[in-house]
Amino acid sequence: MIYLLPSISATLGAILSFSLFRSKHKEASVLASFLALVFSIFLLFEPDRFTAFFYVDSLSKIFLLMISSVYLGVVIFSIGYLEHSHGHLVKSCQYFSLLDIFVGIMLFSVTLNNFGLFWVSIEATTFATALLVASENDIAALEAAWRYIMIVSVGLTIGLVGTLFLYSSAHTLSITDLLSRQNQGSLFFLSGMLLVIGYGTKIGIFPMYTWLPDAHGKAPAPISAIFSAVLLPVSLYPLIRFFEVYQDPSLSKFAFVLGFLSVMTGSIMTLNQRLYKRLFAYSSVENMGLSLIGVSLGSYALFGTIVLIFTHAFAKSGVFMLTGNMLHELKTRKIEDVKGLIKIMPKTGLFLFFGALAVTGTPPFATFFGELLIVSKTINYYGWIVGVALFFFLMCGFLFINYRVINMVFNDETKPVSSAKESPFTFVPVIFITLAAFVILIVPIFYRFIEGVIK
Amino acid sequence: MEKEIFALVGFWEIILSIFMQWQAYTISNIKTFSVQSWILGIFLLWAGVFHGFTALIILALLTIITRAIAMPLYLGNTIRKQIYRARENKHRISTGLSILISLLLAVFGYLVYYLILAGYGQSLVSIPITLMLQGAFLIVSRSNAYSQLIGYLVMENSMFLLSFLFSELPFIVEAGIILDVLGVVVVAGLLMRVRDEDIEKEEELLG
Repeated sequence: MIYLLPSISATLGAILSFSLFRSKHKEASVLASFLALVFSIFLLFEPDRFTAFFYVDSLSKIFLLMISSVYLGVVIFSIGYLEHSHGHLVKSCQYFSLLDIFVGIMLFSVTLNNFGLFWVSIEATTFATALLVASENDIAALEAAWRYIMIVSVGLTIGLVGTLFLYSSAHTLSITDLLSRQNQGSLFFLSGMLLVIGYGTKIGIFPMYTWLPDAHGKAPAPISAIFSAVLLPVSLYPLIRFFEVYQDPSLSKFAFVLGFLSVMTGSIMTLNQRLYKRLFAYSSVENMGLSLIGVSLGSYALFGTIVLIFTHAFAKSGVFMLTGNMLHELKTRKIEDVKGLIKIMPKTGLFLFFGALAVTGTPPFATFFGELLIVSKTINYYGWIVGVALFFFLMCGFLFINYRVINMVFNDETKPVSSAKESPFTFVPVIFITLAAFVILIVPIFYRFIEGVIK
Repeated sequence: MEKEIFALVGFWEIILSIFMQWQAYTISNIKTFSVQSWILGIFLLWAGVFHGFTALIILALLTIITRAIAMPLYLGNTIRKQIYRARENKHRISTGLSILISLLLAVFGYLVYYLILAGYGQSLVSIPITLMLQGAFLIVSRSNAYSQLIGYLVMENSMFLLSFLFSELPFIVEAGIILDVLGVVVVAGLLMRVRDEDIEKEEELLG
């Protein structure tokens, strides 16, 4: 039950924000997110717990910590962000309430011991967040939200067929039970393929990623931040568990191909992006594709994935929050309209630069280490040609994104801006991107902590 | 006996979904979906009573309350406030062609079963697969938000038939699915009230 404390905090935050403390909804959400983080840190030191309903090991604890940290940052940043935004579809109290309930569901989902309930909770995050995506209430935002809810729901229906086949072949959906038996058979394999496609839709895997740039591009910056940093990895979580219970070379190849195509698409699409939020959205497609590759390969590539998504969570959420600053002050979403950011908004500019380096896997950020492990396992498993091709596309993403960001930050053709003052809440993305830089220092501790999961 | 009834239910579900393909009136599609859900709910209720499964009876009642009654009422109420959406004149695919594709999808559904799932001995599995494909086709062939949502709901109905055919999922999961779908419909309804699907090109959604 103690493993539900973070989720309960967030859910209470949602209830309080929406009902009893409507006038103090921001404070209620900050308190809820702070408590969720405290509980998540406390749970790191608690023993693993496996019951009929819960499956909490070190991986779940890392996810709890990652979700709670981003949650606190996003809630604090949202306070400043919403003050500058107008014409919202949802009121401020509804925004915080939906955000709290969304995080509550995610915190709940990573403690579960049931593939059926994974599906229920991942689908629940869809309708909990659709209105947040549409929050800006213009044509593009509403269209993005509609595409999000339809594509993801239909994709997850395929995941439900996979869950059904899993249950039919194994007669259980419990991770503990599935781990204790030999899982084989073509129906099991078919269920694995359908689960990869189904959850892949929510993760933003090729070819079902099309909702992702729209939703990330049009959602308010803090929502894009939490989507990219946490929602996508949480949707990957059931697949990590599935590959734990069922290791089949053909299924691994299937997931690898989809992951590879996602890396390829994500990195190439960054070349022709004209809007900075969409640029970073495609970077998420690339990172999630790489993460799926790591999951499919297992062993130290899986460790690489965990390091990658943990560092990516801090760096990418920081970057998206900074894009919120840019949008408020510069009133443009276009990359070409942003020049000399370092002069106009020094903190935003500098940390956007560092954040972009972090999300594109530049050393010494731990994303580099994670990518290195995944690429080296790819070479080890599929040979040099495939490994070099993967590295090539990662380099494309690295060059295209950083070229654009360097242009936005350091290009001297500064356009006159009347009053470009940075939000006082800029400290949140600054801390997040700084934390992303420090993750590399705790990698050995990380490894010892999660060793049992990696095998 | 149960297999024959299942086949009959599946047959009507498919016929009704093909009927949806050539319907231009969205409100008729909502009513057709309601009929589909009634058939599904009554079938589950009969199966629950026949086998003495309380969970199945509760599930059947939940299906009837949410899918056959609440969702159609909610969608009908929403569309009455947007009467210009009540008829969809411009289909992405012409009506004649969409009926032809629907029939081909029925054949394709059988082929999927024959080639992939025949080994599991469930010859009736082609019925939910066909229904699922019909729902997916309704989504891609229409631009009207209501039709797309109904397409999704048809897909979800097919899930219940599939679940019944293979092995019933645990009750907590099935109930969770019903609540999720209800949540999706409510939020989609809220979005539909403010969304205009006649946008041509939106610069912010390109690329």
